[in-house]
Amino acid sequence: MTVSADDRLQDANRPALGARLSGTARWLQATSASRVAGLTLLVAVLAFLSVYPLSMLLYGSLHSTPPGMAGTFNLDGYRDILTRENLITLLNTVGISLAKTVPSLALAVLLAWILARTDTPCRGALEVLVTLPFFIPPILTAMAWGMLGNPQVGLLNQLYQGITGSSTAPINVYSYGGVVWHMMQYAVPFLFLLIVDAFRAMDPSLEEAARMCGASRLRTFRTITLQLMLPALTSGAILSFIRGIENFESPLFFGSPAGIHVITTDIYDSINQRSPPQYQYATAVSFVIMALLFLIVLLQWRLLRGRSFTTVSGKGYSPGVTKLGKWRWVTFAFCVLFFVITVVLPVGQLLIGSFFKFFGFYQWDMLTLEHYQAVFGSSEFWRGFGNTMLLGLVGASATMVLGGLVAYISVRTKWRGRSLIDAMAWLPWMMPGIVLGVGFLWGFALLPHAIPIYGTIWALLLAYISLGTPLSVRVMSSAFSQLSFDIEECSRVHGASWLQTMWRIVIALSWPSFAVGWVLLFFGIMRELSASVLLYSIGSEVLSVVLLKLWVNGNAEQVSVIGLMMMVMVILFRWVQLSFIKKHINTL
Amino acid sequence: MSNIVLEKVSRKFGDFAAVSGVDLRVGEGEFVTLLGPSGCGKTTTLRMVAGLEQNTGGRISIGGRVVSDAERGLFVPAEHRALGMVFQSYAIWPHMTVFDNVAYPLRVRRVGRVDIRQRVLEALKLVEMADYADRPAPALSGGQQQRVAIARALVFEPALLLLDEPLSNLDARLRAQMGSEFRALQKRLGITSLYVTHDQEEAMALSDRVVVMQAGRVLQIGAPEEIYQRPASRDVASFFGSPNLLPATVVNCARLDDADFALSVRGSGWEGTCRAGEARAEGAKVLVMVRPESVRLADGANQASSVLSGRVVQSSFHGARRALTVEVNGNLMRAEVPATTPLGEQVTLTIDERAAWALSA
Repeated sequence: MTVSADDRLQDANRPALGARLSGTARWLQATSASRVAGLTLLVAVLAFLSVYPLSMLLYGSLHSTPPGMAGTFNLDGYRDILTRENLITLLNTVGISLAKTVPSLALAVLLAWILARTDTPCRGALEVLVTLPFFIPPILTAMAWGMLGNPQVGLLNQLYQGITGSSTAPINVYSYGGVVWHMMQYAVPFLFLLIVDAFRAMDPSLEEAARMCGASRLRTFRTITLQLMLPALTSGAILSFIRGIENFESPLFFGSPAGIHVITTDIYDSINQRSPPQYQYATAVSFVIMALLFLIVLLQWRLLRGRSFTTVSGKGYSPGVTKLGKWRWVTFAFCVLFFVITVVLPVGQLLIGSFFKFFGFYQWDMLTLEHYQAVFGSSEFWRGFGNTMLLGLVGASATMVLGGLVAYISVRTKWRGRSLIDAMAWLPWMMPGIVLGVGFLWGFALLPHAIPIYGTIWALLLAYISLGTPLSVRVMSSAFSQLSFDIEECSRVHGASWLQTMWRIVIALSWPSFAVGWVLLFFGIMRELSASVLLYSIGSEVLSVVLLKLWVNGNAEQVSVIGLMMMVMVILFRWVQLSFIKKHINTL
Repeated sequence: MSNIVLEKVSRKFGDFAAVSGVDLRVGEGEFVTLLGPSGCGKTTTLRMVAGLEQNTGGRISIGGRVVSDAERGLFVPAEHRALGMVFQSYAIWPHMTVFDNVAYPLRVRRVGRVDIRQRVLEALKLVEMADYADRPAPALSGGQQQRVAIARALVFEPALLLLDEPLSNLDARLRAQMGSEFRALQKRLGITSLYVTHDQEEAMALSDRVVVMQAGRVLQIGAPEEIYQRPASRDVASFFGSPNLLPATVVNCARLDDADFALSVRGSGWEGTCRAGEARAEGAKVLVMVRPESVRLADGANQASSVLSGRVVQSSFHGARRALTVEVNGNLMRAEVPATTPLGEQVTLTIDERAAWALSA
């Protein structure tokens, strides 16, 4: 009896099970082969862009000779790191980054409060102005400040001497202060962009409740507002600290001339400034800085785990705006002053510098247009310009497509192996540009001779894609995770194929994020210096490298001209970004 | 000591008058509710009493002290008014424990540590949350956050409690429970309360008096029964439920002993009597308000003052009651009758005189 009952049960189950099986099988047959091929290709590309340079760092740090030469394996590179000088380099790196993070955070909080929570006039316009410095390539402001704060002929010192009549030069940008100062111009708007939404989105009743409990404004800000912001502030500060350690331009321009070395400039110097280049040492240092960054990221995870507060309520008043009375003109002036110092001064210096015969000698009879003629007549400039544009367009597009694919797979599918793909795409995030440059230097040299990437523009393209992938994945992931699954499924139910669904629904809804990410990547490529300077060769220079070469040759006047061109491009792109994709600006 | 007086209070945002000319007196220990649709100015009024919003016209006094006077430019900020307030989102600070949340007003007032502990636990006991004192605030459910918010508002023994839609984020069952619990607590403590809601049932169930607001103005102030049964205008009537408004002409008007008036009216296809709060001239047009639940099916036994016949066009079963839509001479009329009543297609409806209230047409 029991047997037959079981049989009947199985019989009853069989058709359903069979139907399900055959359905799955059909689906597998239809999609499996192409999907496996596609996934394999994607994994291979990501591996080449992230795992390969990383493993090449390990290989190179143990290899006794420069890339491409026969040698032995030893630990000399790591042994050379353990010197007193390098301890100072490490302390410099950490100290400078700390020294710029703390005041930048204070300034960013102040600016965020002014622009999000007070009735300061023209807040919308001020916000655009205050965040503009973040989008200017650091190499431009570095050169401009090199001219402004030059202890001998700097404009600021000349002004000071002209006003006071003294002959001392109080400002010397080639110092610890100069390095920190230049980094701060980027850290403040960066932090501002990270925290301003937290200020803006906070449920105002959290603060009003404190007022009703009898707390003064100041006490409310201290015990409620700031405390609620703490997770956002901590994560912003750690990110800013990491960027400080990765920073290359500031210590290169203002530290190296004064004998102040940090890890990134140490890597650069040991390859570019020493003869013979010490590849093994540089690679070993690169590996160490990555380990350092990895530790910081671990620390960040531990610190912030479970410590984010949902302070946003569905409904409510716009965030409580503090009426400042007459003081609102003070806050207005403060924001304008920040903009003047971080943008107007350096751009003004470039403008002045481009029209005078010699930098530092500003007399009427020295006015000239010859620098413009020289730049526009120089084939090197046009080649750099063309390369930058080409790399920017192709690089940003390719990176966004790659990032979009990775994000789609990791957010919207349940495919096996998707977390591996996500992790590989994230890996370059821990590599400063210069470290990635070193990794690719080894990687390209060790490729078979049939694949001659090294020395071509492709080398730069691959490095840019690798550097940009984590950002593009992040932008597209947040876009995809905001789309509900229902939308996609609804389209399928209504008869659209997977491809049609992708095209009409997923891409149609996420293109604004795509555009925002694209512009950010384009900016990133335009400003990139540290990887480019290791990977370029004659013929594949980009604008930032052209600028650096001119600067090193002492041609500050032509630098000013090219710098102005780049500034115009930055402002143009920023304007396009703001006016056409305005409502998505917050996804930065 | 803890009464509230609003005199001609207004608030303008640019050209838009969110609140205009509100007069209101809340007596000591009274529970008064500001009721109205969203955007009617009720929350703005409450926030002006709280001191979170400054009135652009008029005067507000609390406990005999003027706290805000637009003409004299006087304004006492929120932190110096010493009022308790419960917010719609509860505004429980997520970075503190339950204890710290409730202790905050006392710490601001520099109360001693031992005293704080005792008073916080007392306040938490009052709302039955004493066991949760050491919980982090984000670990609370909506109803628990609500209780903590009330404890925090009461812990420093304010003379006055302000509540801004405190129940609107709770589910229906919890809402009814929290509402009656809070009303019991309010009565026990005798604390003067000003309460804002858009839910008319909540307002009627909780309040001593209800202030009906619309477009920044007060439409009517009165006890819940009065506002429900004797609304001052069509707007107030429509705000509570969905009453039938039958157009009619006054045939006769007679003064009654209780200062009301009895009207004989004629509508299209029916005649009857109703009550009015003021004398109406013969031939005047009125709207006779009849609540659906006051409409009865004629059974021949009861003495009705108005009788209407019509055809049932819609009937839906709601458990205890049945909701009917009846077409009477081309007008649709809603009625709620006991679900057990047998029904034909043609029905005769009756309305008692005391259940029919005349409004200006």
